[in-house]
Amino acid sequence: MGWVMVVPLLPWLAALWIGVGMLTGQRRGEAGERGTAWVALLAATGSLLGMLVVDGMAVHQGVMGHVVVFPWLSSGPLRVTISLLLDRPGLVMGTLVAFGALMTLKFAVNYMHREPGFHRFFAVLCLFAGGMTWIALSGNAVLTFVGWEVAGLSSYLLIAYADTRTTATTNATRAFVTNRFGDAGMVFGMAMVFLWTKGVEWPAIFQAAKPLGSLLTAVMVAGFLLAAVVKSAQIPFVAWISRALEGPTPSSAVFYGALMAHAGAFLVIRLEPLLVLAPFWMVILMLIGGLTALFASAVGRVQTDVKSVLIFSTQAQIGLIFFECGAGFFDFALWHLVAHTLWRFYQFLLSPSYIHLAPVRPSAGGVAKSPALYTLLLHRGWFDSVTDALITRPTLALARDVQIFDELVISRMSGRPMQESLLRHMVAGVEVSSLSGVTQGRGVLGRLLERVGMLFFWFEEHLVLRSSGDGLLKAMRFLGEYVTRIELLFGQPRYLYLMIMLTFLVIL
Amino acid sequence: MDAPIAMKPLLVLLFLPAFGAGVIALLPARMAGLMRGMAVLVSLITLIVAIWVVIHFIGTNSDLQFLANYPWRSQLDNSFAFGVDGLSLPMVLLATLLAFVAILASGGVKEMAKGYYALLLLLETSMLGVFMAQDWSIFYIFWELTLLPLFFLINTFGGKQRNQAALNFVLYTMGGSVFMLIGLLLAYDASTPHTFLMNEMAIGTASLSGERQVLIFLGFLIGFGVKMPIFPLHGWLPLAHVEAPAPVSLLLSGALLKMGSYGLIRAAMMLPEAVVTLQVFLATLAMINVIYGGVLAWRQIDLKRMIAYSSVSHMGVVLLGIAALNLNGITGAMLQMVSHGLTAGALFLVIGLLYERTHTRDIRHYGSLTQVAPRFAFFVAAAFMASVGVPGTAGFMAELHVMIGSLQRWGWSAALLSVGMLVGAAYAVRTIGCLCTGPKHQGTEILIPMRRTELAAATILVMAIVVLGFLPAPLLGMMTASLDRFGDLFVNGL
Repeated sequence: MGWVMVVPLLPWLAALWIGVGMLTGQRRGEAGERGTAWVALLAATGSLLGMLVVDGMAVHQGVMGHVVVFPWLSSGPLRVTISLLLDRPGLVMGTLVAFGALMTLKFAVNYMHREPGFHRFFAVLCLFAGGMTWIALSGNAVLTFVGWEVAGLSSYLLIAYADTRTTATTNATRAFVTNRFGDAGMVFGMAMVFLWTKGVEWPAIFQAAKPLGSLLTAVMVAGFLLAAVVKSAQIPFVAWISRALEGPTPSSAVFYGALMAHAGAFLVIRLEPLLVLAPFWMVILMLIGGLTALFASAVGRVQTDVKSVLIFSTQAQIGLIFFECGAGFFDFALWHLVAHTLWRFYQFLLSPSYIHLAPVRPSAGGVAKSPALYTLLLHRGWFDSVTDALITRPTLALARDVQIFDELVISRMSGRPMQESLLRHMVAGVEVSSLSGVTQGRGVLGRLLERVGMLFFWFEEHLVLRSSGDGLLKAMRFLGEYVTRIELLFGQPRYLYLMIMLTFLVIL
Repeated sequence: MDAPIAMKPLLVLLFLPAFGAGVIALLPARMAGLMRGMAVLVSLITLIVAIWVVIHFIGTNSDLQFLANYPWRSQLDNSFAFGVDGLSLPMVLLATLLAFVAILASGGVKEMAKGYYALLLLLETSMLGVFMAQDWSIFYIFWELTLLPLFFLINTFGGKQRNQAALNFVLYTMGGSVFMLIGLLLAYDASTPHTFLMNEMAIGTASLSGERQVLIFLGFLIGFGVKMPIFPLHGWLPLAHVEAPAPVSLLLSGALLKMGSYGLIRAAMMLPEAVVTLQVFLATLAMINVIYGGVLAWRQIDLKRMIAYSSVSHMGVVLLGIAALNLNGITGAMLQMVSHGLTAGALFLVIGLLYERTHTRDIRHYGSLTQVAPRFAFFVAAAFMASVGVPGTAGFMAELHVMIGSLQRWGWSAALLSVGMLVGAAYAVRTIGCLCTGPKHQGTEILIPMRRTELAAATILVMAIVVLGFLPAPLLGMMTASLDRFGDLFVNGL
């Protein structure tokens, strides 16, 4: 079953192909658009077909379960394989991802036409599609994490698609940093899982968790749940997703409307065997999901642009999915996930035309009656401001303090960066011709190195090179002259006679 | 012997470049293009044969493989014996790869192409002879044979001080090999039965008294120490590396220095007790090498000179790995030999190509390569990063192993090695900064971009460095049994 690897790898290959093409200058501007689109669509189609074949086999012969393709890393007791978990949630999610990626790419061919970042967009979207497929199909926590990170990274790259706009880049950073909380949770979860079950393959984890008891399982699951809650933008991490809408519409569709926001929910479904062992977290899941659903549907009512309305309604639905998982209806949650994803795809891709399609502006409904509530909702629950006050500002203040310390103490010790005046001279094109620019050390260690360097240099020049190079040659020349002189002497008849006489003497 | 000569892959490896050199020598002088094509082809086929040998080599077997043994003179009991084990095979592969790259990158040689390519191929044959010889007398003959082509290559195609450099180089190496010869004859004399075969001589010498072993080993140490080089026998190196044409310095630094360390490992296996006695001495020399070479490299403003001194520093790491006398140390030493071969090769290649275009080696005359010649900038940065041993390059694996090996042996005093690495990082980053950034300079503001063959040569080296950095397992697998044998030799001694 190793060939199933093709499904997640095809989009990555396409991304690589487009990326290399961009680097080498093969793909530029409008002329290259056809090629780029063709490669991306081909990969996505191939990936979808592969997925459908696997689905067909699964229907025909039953699901394959855990498939190990080849071992990857081994270090001490840690063994990581490249493996796939082709069970029901995995196959469903994988097919959904492949289908969604293909649709979005097809839509984007026209939508992104003549945009300056056409190729970049397609490369990142392919990268993302591959990452999402790994989340769906991977057979162990490490590969899931790989997919998770790639999806996060490509999301960052696409939010900042318009990289000349300050809001886009700020929002991208904000979204990315928030996502790192979840990533930290995931790493923590993996570490705990490895600590107690000595494995990272999902089936092995599920098996080993049973005898561990609910407390240990709860600790193991906690990290993964944090990751899921962040990725799906549930309370209290609701703020980042509305910032993420800066990207072009197709990317919003695939990331937040449909696929990536559901990755968290999918992870929860994937963790079903662990969650049922930790009832405490089930209750928490219900709480988080329920609250998010209420909050998001209320906030959605006061939004004035179509993408925001859609994103909050998405959030509300995902909240419901979390709620269902918490209540133990995992199968139902999977159904809900699929149906909702498909519907959201359609809506998000349609959103640019919504303004024309919708006959009347939707009204805020009941919440309009209470000014306090309306304000609260308009500010989206102040989640962003609270984060600013609690995390961003203290971090900035700390950074400022550290920088002052750095400038006053560390820089002096380690050597300041090159002085500004000198730098300006260099930039102006005036050559700094003394040796100083190159072999001068700065800071305590630099000075030391400079002194030692001078010492060694002297030693090398005077003792090693001169004595060996020049000295050796000089000695050789001297010796040579000497030998030549003796040779000349021997050439003269009188010494030859003398030699012959001497020889005779010795013989006699 | 059972199989005909043509069926012995090692003999094919050995004689193919020599045969190519002969054919090139017979071609008429005006067909320079054909000569170049011929040289590239021959070295490529040699490389392919070497890869074939690697594929069919069994890494878990510590015995000599692909043995080709023909008795030569019965009264001396020496024989024309070739074979490879886990220690020599990586060197064979490295030498064939670097020879191919060097010939590929020699596009700039237009005059006297016949002599140039013939000598390069002859050099390849003699290098391979050194690495594959399993008889000390043959080893010694090929060892001396490398001097011939190198002398003419440096003396004819070198820079301004080429005559002095070539003479200096030959005198130094000859001086060293005299001591090696004395050591060899002593060992031959002392071991019973009298034989020159490496493995059998090792059995005889292992039972000698400690003092005799030390005496013999010191002879080898001087001989190999000149080549490697070990402080203070490195006087020939800066001049020879600077004056030689770029592809020759690539081979000189990449493959020929390894002959010294390879021989030293062989000698250490032959005279274990002597190495144990001299262990601290060797380690001290190694540390001096690392730091002395590093600091002097930092002090240079001549780029080629700087790389030459960085070679001294990196070969010190090899010596330290050998001196640790444990599995990790020797693994690191072998890895470092391969990694330094590739890294120094890449550095000399890129700097040599730059020199060919600008005719200056002064670091201050360069600037802003990222804009002037982005490909050059990329390879300069990649090669220097590799020489620092950034994780993900082959050098990292090597230095890590040496570090672990010496920590196991000497405890925290091995941390001195990291001082050397720090200095290495200092000059590498400094050089990348000076070359790639800053203002453009007169004379170097317009450069001819890299030609296709040059690009291919540089890419091969950088790829090899990165692949080994991420996937050292195949290389380690090739060496595993031989390394274990080396490790086991010294487990009981200490």
